[in-house]
This record gives sequence, C-alpha cells and structure tokens, in this order.
Amino acid sequence: MSEGRFHGGKIDAEELAGHRFPYQEDIALLDGIDLLALTPGEDINWLEDIHLLQEDGVPAVFDRYSNAFIKIHFAIPSGREDEVARKVLMAHLTAGNSYGIQLKRKHAKFAQPMLGPWVEGSESVGEDWKPATMEGWERPSGH
Amino acid sequence: MDQVGSSGSRRITYDARGLAEPHAEVPKVSEIDAGRAVFDAAKLTTRQINLELRWLIYEQGVRDVTVLNPGAKHSIGVGILQRCKIRFAGSLGYFGLGVIDGPEVIIEGRVGWSVCENMMSGVVVIEKNAGSLTGAAIRGGDLVIKGSVGARTGVDQKGATILVGGDAGAVTGFMMQRGRIVICGNAGPSLGDSMYDGTIYVGGRVASLGIDCIEGEWTDADTEFIDRKFRIYGMDKPSSFQKFVCGKQLYNYDNLEPAERKLVL
Repeated sequence: MSEGRFHGGKIDAEELAGHRFPYQEDIALLDGIDLLALTPGEDINWLEDIHLLQEDGVPAVFDRYSNAFIKIHFAIPSGREDEVARKVLMAHLTAGNSYGIQLKRKHAKFAQPMLGPWVEGSESVGEDWKPATMEGWERPSGH
Repeated sequence: MDQVGSSGSRRITYDARGLAEPHAEVPKVSEIDAGRAVFDAAKLTTRQINLELRWLIYEQGVRDVTVLNPGAKHSIGVGILQRCKIRFAGSLGYFGLGVIDGPEVIIEGRVGWSVCENMMSGVVVIEKNAGSLTGAAIRGGDLVIKGSVGARTGVDQKGATILVGGDAGAVTGFMMQRGRIVICGNAGPSLGDSMYDGTIYVGGRVASLGIDCIEGEWTDADTEFIDRKFRIYGMDKPSSFQKFVCGKQLYNYDNLEPAERKLVL
C-alpha cells in the first residue's frame, strides 16, 4: 500500500489512469457541459451534493464511482467553484474515464449501461459475467 | 402463483423475495408502443417483474414504463441504472427501488421498509406513506413522500434530498452524513441522533433531538433550496421551518484515515 497507485494511502483519478485528462487543465473544455440536461428531474439532482473540495492541497472534486478525487489544475473563477467541480466530474464520467466505470466491463454482474445514466445509447455490459478464477485455485473437476 | 389451500385460504407458493427463481426468464408480456410500455404485474413474480423492467429499459430502449398491479411485492424496481420514467400503479413492498441510478419514478400507492436504499440519483415520488428506513444510505437524487414516513428515515444518509409531506417517525436522520431531510409535519423522538453532517428541516413539532443534533442558522441558501423543491414537486409548504444540523461534538474523523473520509463523500 506504500507504492504505485496507492502511494501514501491516497487514490486520485490521474494516478489510477497514469495521466491527467485535458479537462483537468483547461476550463474552456467545460463550456458545452449542460448540468441540467445531464441529470434527472428539474434541477441538478444528485449534483447538488457535489462541491469543490481539496486533495493534497489542490482543488479537487470527488468521483463516487471510483472513490477517487479528480484534481483541478486551472484557476477557478471566484463564485463558480461548485459549478466547475460539477462540470469536471461530468466531463470525467461521460467520457468513460472513471476507473470504477472501466471496471464494469470485467466485473459488472448484471446487464447495465457501461457509461451509466449520463450517456444515452451507451453499450450494455454485464450480461455474461463469470466469477474470476485465480490460477492454481480452479475448482476440482466434478465440482 | 397463488393457490387456494384446502382450508379455502389463499397462500403464496413462490418466494416473494425472488430467491427461489434463479433461472426465471423474461416474461415479455409488455405492450410496447412508441418508446412506451405497459405491463400487468398481477400474475408475475418479483424476479419476473424486475427482469421485464430490465429487458424493456436496457434491451428494448423503452424510456417510459407503467407497471400495473405491482401488488406490494418486495424488491421491485431495484438496480435500474438508466435515465427513464417508471410509474407503479399501486403499492410496493419492502426494499423497493434499491440501488437505482437515474430513473424518475412515481408510485401511486404506499411503500414498505427501506424504499430507495442506496439510491444514487434520480427522482422518486411516493403518493402515500412509506415505512421505516426510507432512503436508508441514500446517496443522491430526490426522494419525495407525500404522506408520512416511519422510523429511521434517512439513516446513514450520504447525500440526496428526502422530502416528507407528513410526519416522520423516531430517530429520523440517524447517523446522517450528508444531504437534506425536509419534514412538513412533526418529527418523532431523537431527531438527527448521532448525525455527522447534513441538514434537517422540520415544519411541525419535534418530539426531541438526538445526541449532537442542534438548531442551525437559517441562510438565504436554505430559502432558495426549500422554495425550489416545493415548487418542483407542487407541494404545500408549511409557513415556517426549523433547521437542524450536527453540533460536531462527536466529530472524530482521524486524519490518518483518508479512506474513512471518502466513505461519506
């Protein structure tokens, strides 16, 4: 737990992916994101609970789908902190870059949209889940 | 499904929890027209109802489903992870709509224990009453109960808004960690007991506050939030609310345990 992606007991999105994503560094990439359109109901629904936080002293938003922070490396305009945090998170989720979403292809146990409810027409995964088997720990024949 | 016993009484011959049907097949009994579907659940088991819903939403691309005669069966509508609209023309039993992410649901009747447990996002509107543990461990979205709710509503709540048109039972908001509970009527004993964070609004009387639950200061953000939610759901708003928050006397997060901190985000 002391090295690699779990260094220092922290997990953040760029450590999980091995690189930063463009929307972590360029606020202009968030311009086309419509939070109302991406969420159910008549307001921003679950995003009401998403706020700008800090991780390692850096502004960050928490991705509950991978239990990881997404750090934000550009200057955030005053008064738009939560809006920017929510847009960075939705950019991350709709692009399928959330590590928890990427795990679905292998580990989802029942049919569900790969990208979650944010992207209409997302492919379905999980229809054919089989339990993983460790080498040397296969079931004996006849069981 | 149901059989008439020798005494003349009706008895259920399937496991209402759905556990006795590991190989159930999708019944495919829906009438589908222009992206909408209707099916009658009266003669279907729990597992068949859920399989039909998933087949419609995931495989047929239906985004508006009406379920007739849900019959208060348990564990209906769980695990729907897609934006869609679902209307239940009747009541649900225990553990309805658990672990959903995205649907907008209307339940025309009542619900039993633990509706919307671990709900991630979406909107659920219940026209009548809900049982205990309503919205247990809910993480996001809006859960609206136009009637009253039982004890421990919002237990372990980690986000979301729970809006109650009537009264709430004992220990509502127990160990609440984030989110908002709005109670138009009265709240039972030990409101907000051991809450870590979050906000509880009560329009009526509070029988007693739980440990470390204190009255909070009203802000413009509270007014905006309350006005917006009542406008969206077309509900009558009490003339005033009391606001309750965590006193943070029990606030003992260990800085060496970042994983614990993330559990409540």
